[in-house]
Amino acid sequence: MDRLIEDTAERIFADHVDKAALDAAESGEFPNALWQVVRDSGLHLVGSPQSGSELADLYGVLRVAGRHAVPLPLAEVLIANSLLDEAGFTTIAVDGVAPWARIADRVLTVDGELSRRFDAEPGSNLAGESRDRVVLFDTERVDLPTDLRERMALCRVALMSGCLERILAMAIDYATEREQFGRPISRFQAVQHNLAVLAGEAAAARCAYDAAVASVDSPGFVHHVAAAKARVGEAAGIAAEIAHQVHGAMGFTHEHSLHHFTRRLWAWRDEYARESLWQEMLGLRIATGGADSVWDFVVDAG
Amino acid sequence: MFTGLEFEAVGLPPEAEALRGEVREFTSKELPADYWPNADFNEGHSPDFSRKLGERGWIGMTWPKRFGGGERTFFERYVVTEELLAAGAPVSAHWIADRQSGPLLLNYGTEAQCRRYLPRIARGECYFSIGMSEPNSGSDLASVRTRAERVRDGWIVNGTKIWTTDAQRNHYIIALVRTSPPSDDRHAGLSQLLIDLYADGVTVRPIRNLAGGEDFNEVVFEDCLVPDDGVVGEPGNGWIQVTSELGYERSGPERFLSAFRVLVEFVRAVGNDPRRDEAALIGRLASHLMTLRRMSISVAGMLQQGGNPAVESALVKSLGNDFEKLVGELVRLQAPPGHPGLERCLRQTLLHAPSFTLRGGTREILRGVIARGLGLR
Repeated sequence: MDRLIEDTAERIFADHVDKAALDAAESGEFPNALWQVVRDSGLHLVGSPQSGSELADLYGVLRVAGRHAVPLPLAEVLIANSLLDEAGFTTIAVDGVAPWARIADRVLTVDGELSRRFDAEPGSNLAGESRDRVVLFDTERVDLPTDLRERMALCRVALMSGCLERILAMAIDYATEREQFGRPISRFQAVQHNLAVLAGEAAAARCAYDAAVASVDSPGFVHHVAAAKARVGEAAGIAAEIAHQVHGAMGFTHEHSLHHFTRRLWAWRDEYARESLWQEMLGLRIATGGADSVWDFVVDAG
Repeated sequence: MFTGLEFEAVGLPPEAEALRGEVREFTSKELPADYWPNADFNEGHSPDFSRKLGERGWIGMTWPKRFGGGERTFFERYVVTEELLAAGAPVSAHWIADRQSGPLLLNYGTEAQCRRYLPRIARGECYFSIGMSEPNSGSDLASVRTRAERVRDGWIVNGTKIWTTDAQRNHYIIALVRTSPPSDDRHAGLSQLLIDLYADGVTVRPIRNLAGGEDFNEVVFEDCLVPDDGVVGEPGNGWIQVTSELGYERSGPERFLSAFRVLVEFVRAVGNDPRRDEAALIGRLASHLMTLRRMSISVAGMLQQGGNPAVESALVKSLGNDFEKLVGELVRLQAPPGHPGLERCLRQTLLHAPSFTLRGGTREILRGVIARGLGLR
């Protein structure tokens, strides 16, 4: 991805997203100030046709956003802006639920309905991120790419990959600072081995993400996304468990910020289909090809 | 912010992909129609097959041409090795010489050593074993006791190496030996010697494993004279040299493909209209496999750039070996009865599984290497 875009995103999110902002958003307050900064920087248009950037950049911004648990519906805004003319704040609904529909100008459904007139009943996911139930009126049909669900799933993969990097960093920092039995707990082999496993899952997630992004616009895209969502969803569960174990009771408190990341991992692995559904899809495709084509599939996912 | 270990996003370039079809054509021609594929790189010691690979230029692919190599990229080598493994071809004879003994000689050997051994390795005629572990030095490699004493025209070696794969069939061993007494620096005083397995004073005894096979051996050296030109690299530099081999040893596709046949035969057994849980299992295993392959290719990219990806390799091997074990355990629970091919693969994988997380560095050692890479020790 474009290094400049990534650095811009990193700087903005690092400067503007802190625990207070996350708590406020979770209590139902839309982060207007942060949204304004994002709009002023043009980040909300990354990946859109007029921006001169690519879809890989869009997913890259989301990876950075995942690292900071950015409390905006960036995946929905970016994908909507990559498909439609930008007209205010467009969120995307799947199965009747859309992030921040309560303040959105438009709702686009993954099935290709667009509406400016809708009811939104506030709701939230496991992470306390807005997931509002919507009822649309006056919808118009729009032509959408057939792989929109996969694009949205890849957004969740990107967010989870960034988030996994963050909890790895947090767990390493905590283990290095926290002393028990007269030494930092990072000196204990049992803790080191858990952190090695966590690092492995974060690295695997990164590579699964990279493979999927590299396949954008190729015939294998759908299958690479299926593999990535399945694998990264598994990584999220394993990694969040270890991050909490390392942080001890401290990480179980609301006061500590770890849960803003781990709860997002638990929520995102379910959104746009949990692992089992992607596994079934992938497995069915492989079985249809037959035993003697398994290797072919692994090699090019065509 | 610390963002974990770096696996650069790398795909296989077109010139590497171009080889895939050639290798498939080769294996389908050279392996008999009723060939039962090997599950593992350790199985199938076939000098005949290795020689044919050598003729095709598929051994020593990345080495300089003047030493019989092909001056091709690590990506091209990657495609050839993964296709051979996926076909279950008998590759064990040349495998270690190609993967790590040759590169070690290139990095640390003399011009004469390279001239003497590399062209024969690349022709598929000359096979090497790894002499690291000893009866009392398994994971704690720095504690090796096999010693080499300086004499007028070389070194006299005494001691025992163990778990030496294919030593009863291969020609040479590169042994890690102590050339000066132990000191406060445990890593000092070690050297690597290239020893002829047919030399006087070398006894090779196969060790039967729990599956009934005889792949690994005990290799005993009794007053074995190794000439001066058998020293690889600098005397005393053995530790650094040995650890530099590990990037080659640990990151390849053989570290996650040992149970691949089980997946293939499971797909055959459930047919093209699987139940949902059967499909999910296939998909889950494929998602791991595709990810591991991507990681392994990323490490090939680091080798191509001349890096020493010891930590990343440890990570690929660690994840890969855990995956290999998972395949057997999960497929076992859903394997439909009445499929002899699947049953045969499963039995083999379950019986060999204990070795997956031991050979080439135990899971515990690998996690320690990763923890060091994370700055924890």
